[in-house]
Amino acid sequence: MSLKAIDSFETRVEKALANPTLKIAIERTTSTARMKRAAAVAAWPDFATARDLARQIKDHVIENLDHYLIEFEKNAAASGAKVHWAATADEACKITVAICQAAKAKSVTRSKSMLGEEIGLPHALDEAGITRVETDLAEHIVQLAGDRPSHIIWPALHRTREEVADLFRAHHHRPQNSDDIASMVASARRELRQRFLDADVGISGANFLIADTGSVCVVTNEGNAELTTTLPRIHIVTAGIEKLVPSLQHTMVLLRLLVRSATGADLTQYTTFHCGPKRPGDRDGPEEFHIVLVDNGRTRMLEQGLAEMLRCLRCGACMNHCVVYRQIGGHAYGGTYPGPMGAVLTPVLDGLKETRDLPHACTLNGNCQEVCPVDIPLPTLLRGWREKSWREGLEPQTVRVALGLWAFGARHPFLYRIGTAIAVRVLRRFAQNGWITSLPLTKGWTKYRDFPKPAARTFMEELRRQESREREQGTKP
Amino acid sequence: MNARDAIIGRIRANRGGKAGDPASIAAAAKALLSKPESGRPRIDAGEPGAIFAAHLVSPKVGASIDEIAGLEDVPQAVRRYLDAQGLDAGIAVQPDPALLRLDWTSFDLLPRIEADAIVGVGKALWGIAETGTLVFHSGPASPTLFSFLPLHHLVVIERTRILSYLEDYALLVQDGAPPRNVNFITGASGTTDIEGTLVKGAHGPRFLHVIIVGPGSDRSNDGKRNDRTD
Repeated sequence: MSLKAIDSFETRVEKALANPTLKIAIERTTSTARMKRAAAVAAWPDFATARDLARQIKDHVIENLDHYLIEFEKNAAASGAKVHWAATADEACKITVAICQAAKAKSVTRSKSMLGEEIGLPHALDEAGITRVETDLAEHIVQLAGDRPSHIIWPALHRTREEVADLFRAHHHRPQNSDDIASMVASARRELRQRFLDADVGISGANFLIADTGSVCVVTNEGNAELTTTLPRIHIVTAGIEKLVPSLQHTMVLLRLLVRSATGADLTQYTTFHCGPKRPGDRDGPEEFHIVLVDNGRTRMLEQGLAEMLRCLRCGACMNHCVVYRQIGGHAYGGTYPGPMGAVLTPVLDGLKETRDLPHACTLNGNCQEVCPVDIPLPTLLRGWREKSWREGLEPQTVRVALGLWAFGARHPFLYRIGTAIAVRVLRRFAQNGWITSLPLTKGWTKYRDFPKPAARTFMEELRRQESREREQGTKP
Repeated sequence: MNARDAIIGRIRANRGGKAGDPASIAAAAKALLSKPESGRPRIDAGEPGAIFAAHLVSPKVGASIDEIAGLEDVPQAVRRYLDAQGLDAGIAVQPDPALLRLDWTSFDLLPRIEADAIVGVGKALWGIAETGTLVFHSGPASPTLFSFLPLHHLVVIERTRILSYLEDYALLVQDGAPPRNVNFITGASGTTDIEGTLVKGAHGPRFLHVIIVGPGSDRSNDGKRNDRTD
């Protein structure tokens, strides 16, 4: 769900930058992730070839999404699954809550799903008075702290171990005795074990929906997904419609790239394929198996030229490698999805008018596309949002005036040169010891950064001088 | 219009209004798989069992292994593990006919897997060398929870059932109806959710011990065991 953010982007960023531990916390997790991904890619000499194949597989599915959705629906229904369709986040939540209510569910376990966050499912379950137990360790931390995920793979990476230790001491029945991370993990294990057993419904997301068998693939490292989906009487999957793949063989290629890009492992510890409810003779497994297929803006992305974004596997590599994300963290983005992929998706989900700052919070250095396992042209898509924002008149007046002025100059080179020649001479008057630390009208810049003192002459002036000097010396005709 | 028709309609409208031709879509999907080697890293030459074992003990997977000659030696291998770990616990054995047939007389056998189980002994259907993965199919003889509730997960795998690549498994099962659950297990449960530090035993087993059954090929075992520890 969008967080109708109360603060402006600027305020959120300032808050993030002022947090003394946030940057340390972000670096601790993302630097390890970057290192492990790099090692995994280096160990696979033909990684680029596989990446290209993965891109082709996703593009093929997106091109034929209607075909694969219908095939998946047919095969899932044949396996005994009940397939539901939701055009919006609200519809998806209503369907899910209604299944829980029909089952008179008191308690629901959830394994981490970004789609669940996107559609606001945690909130919808809370509103319906259903006890919600987040079982992914990071989501458990986020739930105890009453805050929001700040990364799509490590939702609690904004919390230091000391903060987590305090949370567990305050909330767990038998908290850890010592504050080493292993003891904290053990405390969460003790705390959640009974909750898994008590739940009436388990809700998971999906990493892949496999069309030719109607199976749902979910990957985790903790094993919480399997306890969530096997123990309760009902299992509900909420999945975005872009998660389709033609077959298990295609899935294998995408799995390799997803996991290496996310954590650097070859495979997650647990990769599970669900196909229908409990069978005759099964000693465990859910009696009802529901799949909620959610659009929520995805068909709109096809229409708006954002089809490439539907390739996204949700690995998180783009944010781990983003110089902006690493400074401000996930919360500052204000949406469900942070980082580069979030800056592309959030305007789709929450509207460009409210989120136009996000596509601007990008240096266009291209790191995100480089590490993307399906080669999504994130910088290009972000530029597309900037252009749209300009066309729709969403850019502030000051930006429009300044750009208009620049455009005028660019079309009148003579005036432009006179302007810059005056500007460097004026600017030099503000410099002290080679740096400009404050300037009228540019407080926004000089508050955090200094300008280097400009050279005495503009580039064009210097070029002219050199040329005339060379002519005098006869080195140039 | 219902949500389903609205979604399908919008997708089609964006492509000019028509449904695609199923035969050409299937052909395009198949063409994407025409060169499987372009979608996977090459594994070392040699017997898949040896590569599988090397992956299991690599730091990435972090499991321990034991290699035995025949299924009848499984109880002895389990005893070896319990002794080495100083465990004096009852064990829950997966109701797989091949396991139940063995001589467990010296063990305290638990009738089923409980939420606080310490040791579970299971049998994997397939192994995958490429990643060091164990494959389980749920069913009456293979309840899913056996792989997730115990603290120590001991898994028996026959060497002849170890495949080279993930795709080999996909090809093997492509014509049959899938079970309710297929579980690929590659190591013990782990989390890096607190400061990116890896801790084992998050919700599932803390230890994965794999007992590989059947004679290995001497040629490929010879000095190649740990070539692939990454």
